[in-house]
Order: sequence, then C-alpha cells, then structure tokens
Amino acid sequence: MSDAQRPFDHTHDGMSMTCRELFERLSEYVDGELSQEICEEIRKHLDGCDPCVNFAKTLKTTANLCRRLPSQPIPPAVAADLHRFLSDHLPRPR
Amino acid sequence: MTDERALIAASKSGDSAALDALVRTHQDRVYSFAMRMCRNVEDAKDILQETFLGVIRSIREFREESKFSTWLYRIASNACLKKRRRGVHEPTPEQEFSLDDLMPRPDAEGRRPEIADWSGDAERALLHGELSARMENAIDKLPKDYKIVLVLRDVEGLSAEETAQAVGLSVPAVKSRLHRARVFIRRELADYLAGPQTR
Repeated sequence: MSDAQRPFDHTHDGMSMTCRELFERLSEYVDGELSQEICEEIRKHLDGCDPCVNFAKTLKTTANLCRRLPSQPIPPAVAADLHRFLSDHLPRPR
Repeated sequence: MTDERALIAASKSGDSAALDALVRTHQDRVYSFAMRMCRNVEDAKDILQETFLGVIRSIREFREESKFSTWLYRIASNACLKKRRRGVHEPTPEQEFSLDDLMPRPDAEGRRPEIADWSGDAERALLHGELSARMENAIDKLPKDYKIVLVLRDVEGLSAEETAQAVGLSVPAVKSRLHRARVFIRRELADYLAGPQTR
C-alpha cells in the first residue's frame, strides 16, 4: 500500500506517534483510560495535527451524545403483561 | 444501596413482594435496553419476561460480587443476543469492523482528509430534536456484537469492566469493540452534520 493509499498513517515533524497509532487509542484517550506517558504523546501529536484534534473532539461528542439519548419508559400495558406473566412464577407467599 | 440490598436478601429467602419490588425498580431500565437492542415491542416484551424470569429463578445464585444492575444486564444481554430479529428488521450480518475501513481516507489525489469539527452543530441538532432518530438509526446499523457493547457502555453508562461482565468478554475486547462502534457512529453523524467529504 502506498503512502497515499494509507490514510492518516504518517508522523509529523518531531512526533513519535503516527495519526494511525493515535487513531487506535482515541476512545481510551477520551475516556481517560491511558497512562500519563501515552497521554503526553497524544497531546504532543494533537498540538500539531488539526485533523486529529477535530477527530478526537467529534469522537468525544459522539460518546457524549449517546449518553444523552432518551430512555424509553415501559408502557403501562407492557408492564401489566409482565407482572401478569411473572405472577405465575413468583414464590407463593408463606 | 441499602434498600436494594435488603430487597435482594429478602428475595433470596423467597419473599415474593421483595422480588416484585426488584422487578418494578428495574423494569424501565430493562425495557429501554431491550427496545434499543431490537427496536421491536414484541421482542422487547419477550426479553423483558425472559430477563425477570431469569432473575426469579436464579436470584439465590447472585453472589453480590457485582452490582445487581450489572447482573441484570448480563441476563438481559444473553436474552438479546439469543433473540433473532423478526419482521422488517432482518438480522444484521455479523462482521469484524476493520479500523482501516473506518479511518478517514485521503481524497482522490492522495491528500490528507479534511476533518470538520461539528461538535457545536451536534449539540444544536440534539437540542432541536433532530439528532436522536439519526443516532438510533446509526446504532441500529451496527453488528449486534458491537451494538450491545456501545449501548451498555455509552448509552446505559456501564464502565468497561461492568460491560465486560455483562457480555462475557475481556475488558480489552470491550474497548476494541467500543472504539470501532463509536468510530462508525461518528462517521454516520459526520455525514449528516458536515457531509461525507469532511468526515
């Protein structure tokens, strides 16, 4: 695969981490699950790479948006069916 | 949670009122999870019944080494993964998501991809209610093994460790699936909010 075909797979001047390597760790980075040392390398890379900054920001936004999706409360008729069904399986009161 | 501990202890000794109270406490959570996983009320009802029947039958085996909700998600996850979708929702073919396929690609001349920052647009679209349906559809396109990890971790808010317990995977496997699933959803949102040229 040529460099042109290999997207995001290059280092910038003075960086030890490629975009590709950063891309692989981004979820762990936005979740705060990486060591100080790796976070520092990532921050160095982000300082000089706008596409990666925007990718990281929008990946974090994606995770935050998922968390804010509304939950779907159980409709009363479904709850009534559930309790009718379970009543045959609950232990008999002593 | 002391009240819940007391309910669990009473349930283990056969107290039907305590079991009933446990069901009522968690029925919304399980229903919402099941609906998001299968997007079909009839299937969600089956999963709900199977999950709480599992709770009634095996509450004595719950050793309280994890949160009750994590144990509950484990039973519900098994029920979801067993369930084949029916009606208009055909089963999503299981596939491995390759990171190479999900990474931004260069343009036809081999130039680095333009990546837009649409974070602010997403916030506004969410406030105006446009984005939820778009996100639910994107989540529904994920293969089931990835979808369940994303829903538990990012929608339901379980930790990586709790998600691993719920789906019976290692923590590194959960993180790997979660990352691929998030990148996929991010790309779907980018197409909508910024256009496919700048994703």
